[in-house]
Amino acid sequence: MRKWLPFAVASALALGAGQAAAQGVKEKVTLMLNWYLYSEHAPFFLGKERGFYEQEGIDLDIQEGRGSGPTIQAVAARTVPFGYADVSTMIKIAAKGAPVKAVGIALQTSPMSVMGFADKNIRKPEDIKGRIVAVTPGDSMSQVWPLFLQKTGLKETDFRTVAGDAQTKLNAVITGQADLLLGYVMDQNMKLQDATKKPVYPIRFADYGVNLISSGIISHKDTMKEKPELVRRFMRASTRAFGAAAKNPEAAVDAMLKANPKAGVRETLITGLKLTIVLYHTDDTAQLPPFRVSEKNVADSLAMLVQYGGVDKDAGKPGDYYTNEFLP
Amino acid sequence: MRPTWWQRLLYAPWSRPVLLILVLLVLWDLAIRIFKIPPYLIPAPEAVIRAFLREWPRLLGESLVTTWATLGGFALSIAFGIPMALAIAYSRTVESFLYPLLVFSQSIPKVAIAPLFVVWFGFGIIPKVIAAFLLGFFPVVVSTVVGFKSVEPDMVDLARSMKATKLQTFARISLPQALPHIFAGLKVSVTLAVVGAVVGEFVGSNSGIGYVLQIANGNFDLPLMFAALVVLSMIGVILFVAVDIVERLLIPWHASHRDEFTATA
Repeated sequence: MRKWLPFAVASALALGAGQAAAQGVKEKVTLMLNWYLYSEHAPFFLGKERGFYEQEGIDLDIQEGRGSGPTIQAVAARTVPFGYADVSTMIKIAAKGAPVKAVGIALQTSPMSVMGFADKNIRKPEDIKGRIVAVTPGDSMSQVWPLFLQKTGLKETDFRTVAGDAQTKLNAVITGQADLLLGYVMDQNMKLQDATKKPVYPIRFADYGVNLISSGIISHKDTMKEKPELVRRFMRASTRAFGAAAKNPEAAVDAMLKANPKAGVRETLITGLKLTIVLYHTDDTAQLPPFRVSEKNVADSLAMLVQYGGVDKDAGKPGDYYTNEFLP
Repeated sequence: MRPTWWQRLLYAPWSRPVLLILVLLVLWDLAIRIFKIPPYLIPAPEAVIRAFLREWPRLLGESLVTTWATLGGFALSIAFGIPMALAIAYSRTVESFLYPLLVFSQSIPKVAIAPLFVVWFGFGIIPKVIAAFLLGFFPVVVSTVVGFKSVEPDMVDLARSMKATKLQTFARISLPQALPHIFAGLKVSVTLAVVGAVVGEFVGSNSGIGYVLQIANGNFDLPLMFAALVVLSMIGVILFVAVDIVERLLIPWHASHRDEFTATA
């Protein structure tokens, strides 16, 4: 009776191995986002739903993050292979020695803006004088704010500043403790509109000559050296995902909501995503697929960061911080 | 034989934690060198010391702001905590209504409700004082309740048999017996009040050590961040020692303050 047991076990194992080979073993890959879910992240969910990642042999796990900084540090420590984070922030930390690089820049035009309720009639930088602005100390926007002030001829003494974390900034504008806050054109203004049903008017930094490259996919330099094929496959799938989302934002938002119903309100997310898609390109990359940033854009951002962002003068060349070599 | 100067230095009570800190600093430096830990993950001790020396005027100024908020919250903890604890200790009714509610309120994370304080009280020192109060309040109440409940009943009976008034019993018997417990609670409370003040600063403030921590974090300036953390810990230590000194003055007879004596040869 016992003699057939080893034979049974061996054939079961062989069957199992055969099945795995037939399916194509998928590699589990984690992508850590820059924040909790909001409209900007929908394309990744669309890509996962439509099987773009699966077709490249990637079993994608999308994790929410707690800020670009922690996400970049997680990639630097190789806790996760890929991160979706603010690339200008990544440049600052890479300049201090972190071995990370951007393999694709999703938002090539900056989403940074200073925004307030439309009924306050703050439409131009001059209207900011005499107002109260809510900022989060230490975040990427507060670092670039002095450059915006310089380019628009404003001085710190022209207005009052209150400081608080992300939730406090929103509360301050909603309760009227502040007139404006520094935020992204598809994030905080959507939240303010959802909460109060009042329209919000954002003054975009990019419209006044302050354009810093923003969110992108980053990876550890060792990952790029040891697993270049994985990076290529991931970027190929992501390029398809972002391209599909640009053509059909509603489907992307639906994919995100299916994966996580608490991600937000459908209409708000669609509006936010449409505002984000506008930022995927600059004029010189308008005809190119997503993620393929122009060298000039990165160079300009690097120069701005050296002058205002506290990045060391001998921070290197743009090529040290980004690469398009893994893009399809 | 009289001990030499370095023997006295070694055995002085304050030198031991300092020695331990020095040993830890050396181990920290060695760990970074041996494991080649990059500076953007953990800073080297000398980078932290340099940041400290470079920024100490700013750190000092901001630490005063945090200390004011801490003291404000601590004062509120005493002002509200001790009378409430007295009511709980002396009345079963009050205890049955109030105590469970107090314990329940402790489980609410203060970080989550701190933004509400800014909405209600604006940007300023008040939200920080309230956050410090909410964190420091509970240890004071619990220890004071325990203190008053553990007064020896025999002593109270003795006082009653000698026709002491309630006030005399309280002042001469109950309070002195409860003081050691109360001070234990105050020591825990003051260190928690520091944490509360910083939480308040994270949420809505443009001054204080919490503010410096946010800026350092945003700039990935880890040496400054660690230096700010050291300053924060020092505030806690100084306040703790201050409470301890007050305790020594008020209850010098308590066992915890009798100095160890070395037996003569």
